[in-house]
Amino acid sequence: MAEQQVGGFEELVLSHLDDAYTLARYLLHDEHDAQDAVQDASLRAFRHFGGFRHGDARSWFLAIVRNCCYDFHKARRMDRSSVPFSDDTLEELPDPHAADELVLEGSESDRVRAAVDALPAELREVIVLRELSELSYREISDVVGVPMGTVMSRISRARVRLGAMLGADSRKAG
Amino acid sequence: MTCEQCIESIGPYFDGELSAEERAQVEEHLRDCPECTAAHRQLTETSSRLRAGLVRYEAPDVLRARIRSSLGEPARDAGPRLVPLASRSRLAWTRTIAAAAVVAVLSSGLTFVTMRGRAPASSLQQEVLSSHIRSLMPGHLTDVESNDQHNVKPWFNGRVNASPDVPRLDSLGFPLVGGRLDYIDGHNVATVVYTRRQHVINVFSWPAAGDDLAPVASSANGYHFIRSRRNGMESWIVSDLNPAELESFSRMLAR
Repeated sequence: MAEQQVGGFEELVLSHLDDAYTLARYLLHDEHDAQDAVQDASLRAFRHFGGFRHGDARSWFLAIVRNCCYDFHKARRMDRSSVPFSDDTLEELPDPHAADELVLEGSESDRVRAAVDALPAELREVIVLRELSELSYREISDVVGVPMGTVMSRISRARVRLGAMLGADSRKAG
Repeated sequence: MTCEQCIESIGPYFDGELSAEERAQVEEHLRDCPECTAAHRQLTETSSRLRAGLVRYEAPDVLRARIRSSLGEPARDAGPRLVPLASRSRLAWTRTIAAAAVVAVLSSGLTFVTMRGRAPASSLQQEVLSSHIRSLMPGHLTDVESNDQHNVKPWFNGRVNASPDVPRLDSLGFPLVGGRLDYIDGHNVATVVYTRRQHVINVFSWPAAGDDLAPVASSANGYHFIRSRRNGMESWIVSDLNPAELESFSRMLAR
């Protein structure tokens, strides 16, 4: 591989490593798994970089990161009980009482994190991409591989659920 | 615009996804509708709490280094190179390691040897492992106990032929514990001890003839090894720490 190609890859793809790692942390919940998944994704992206011609490099890379996270999670499900993360369980609602207890304690930041973690993965990922990485609906649609209308309704459902789980802002109430 | 349409649109409105015309319609409805205005306020508050409360992670330097290395980017330092062996999901990794190795070999001319844990342990590896396990028994870990490299390094002078490097890696999460003498493969061996959480990491080194050897990772009996040879010094890193972190450690040590 020419050094120039590595350079172009770094500039176009690896400049989005923070977004990639953030997504992986929220999907996999474990820093080592997240690192492994992002490294795996970077290698996959590098191998297919020659075929990347147009479009947004960040969305393209994040889509690969997301796939790697799903692969990692599938591999883990064999030997580890974890937060549901597959299509058959995506629609499962978390136990609302458990979530209530979860978010009652701790700092505001802990409460927010616990609420986001209690979301099913399909809602969690769009919230992370929208609120933290500030992707547009079009970009999220590219990353997640669903139509923009679906992105819109998932973001909306996620915010409604989070609003209900978080309740009144303790900072304002207190 | 009906309330139903407005409720459907306030997300995209808030996220700046509407055309000017659509925005105007939503704003017009919000002016007259307290229910939708309350929903809009709730959404705004939820979003700002998420942005304020959620951590936006920064990719750690270790991860950047691992990726650079596995892409075979030409070395910017003289440190040894290591194909990533963090392989808890073996199927996915076998392919990526192969790809990374090809890229790395092509670009740098270095050769890599990867050895899987199922291979029978060499007798040298067995000796190193025995020393590691013995060091874990009560009272055997260190002969000189200090988290200061300026105490540990000089302690080896006169006890071994070549005093090992003792970099300080506390800030990177690998506190120094101390040093020890071992006897491996017919040599007095300098052993530097680090920890990572509850895991002990032993770094064995001794003078050895032969060409430089790029780091090679292997596993046996639940322990992980990284062997290398540089500037006439053989080095073995041994721990029950996971291979990914051990590999990071190896890289930091060689800096």
